Amino acid sequence: MTTTISIPTIETERLRLRSPKPSDLDAYIAYRASARSRFVGGPNTADEAFSMLCSIVGQWQLRGYGRWMVAQKDTDDPLGVVGIYHPLEWPEPEIGWTVFEHAEGKGVAYEAALATRDFAYRTLGWKTIVSLVADENQRSVALARRMGCKRENVFQHSEFGDLPVWRHPGAEEGRP
Amino acid sequence: MNAHLADTPVLETERLLLRAPQAGDYPAWRDFLCSARGNFVGGGSDVDVGRAWRAFSAITGHWTLRGFGMFVFSDRGSGQPLGACGPWYPEDWPEREIGWSVWHPSSEGNGYAQEAARAVLSHVFSDLGWATAVSYIDAANIRSQNLARRLGAALDRTASRPDPDDLVFRHRPGAATP
Repeated sequence: MTTTISIPTIETERLRLRSPKPSDLDAYIAYRASARSRFVGGPNTADEAFSMLCSIVGQWQLRGYGRWMVAQKDTDDPLGVVGIYHPLEWPEPEIGWTVFEHAEGKGVAYEAALATRDFAYRTLGWKTIVSLVADENQRSVALARRMGCKRENVFQHSEFGDLPVWRHPGAEEGRP
Repeated sequence: MNAHLADTPVLETERLLLRAPQAGDYPAWRDFLCSARGNFVGGGSDVDVGRAWRAFSAITGHWTLRGFGMFVFSDRGSGQPLGACGPWYPEDWPEREIGWSVWHPSSEGNGYAQEAARAVLSHVFSDLGWATAVSYIDAANIRSQNLARRLGAALDRTASRPDPDDLVFRHRPGAATP
């Protein structure tokens, strides 16, 4: 009867993708308060950030998949949030990525997003997945291209506006 | 290695089972939050389901980030979820709260919230060892104010509160006799 949420831990060469935990709060609140969150609904108050971090955990319960806190493998220092984001109104599950300021420019999002795609295709057995990336978010557009994604169409969100859909290479196509 | 929402306590009362939320509770929660019954907890009949969905996932994640959280109470016989009650401490709350909601109109008036809240108060004071807790209740929410009083809570006029329209009821160990 006790409630259990399973959030698998995945390790890559430099990173650990793991469940969010209380010690991640400060870094996540700082990120959500900064202009860095402007392409993903921010900036946000500390209270909103707290709820959002809670929701990252809760989506695993509701969907059976979700997003991880990406941590540096040796120190466990939180670097960003990457994984499968799928709120209720989304057209389909997407690989989402966010990197905190001190971790930018090191390929963290790329390494974690590749691990996420691998999880979606090999562990979950999915055949396809997308990422929703605002056109103005040039760094993320560049990452989507680097991962071999193709811009497909535009999802119109009532709150966030136009969200272009980038389709990743399918499970059968192999890695780019 | 899995990170579990592990060791979440389960409380039992005469008629109710209190446990951390489960995915199957979501439809009943959604119908509650997106109705006028949800007015006092950030919901309402004009609230879209996306918000109910995010709020539900946040209730679950609160357990992970705080180590305690809102229980869903269900009918011990049928397993049907009837409402939520438990400690709640989001980032902008001045202190830890005990909150409650009864989801369906047909469940109201049976004393379920009171039964659940007595179990929760006993849990936070005895098991978690808290010295105090509050309930933030909208000044227009007379039903909940009455329940707070029946639970032995006293109006605290000086405590800070998240919303100026809230009343603060303060719970103390032993005030809610089982």
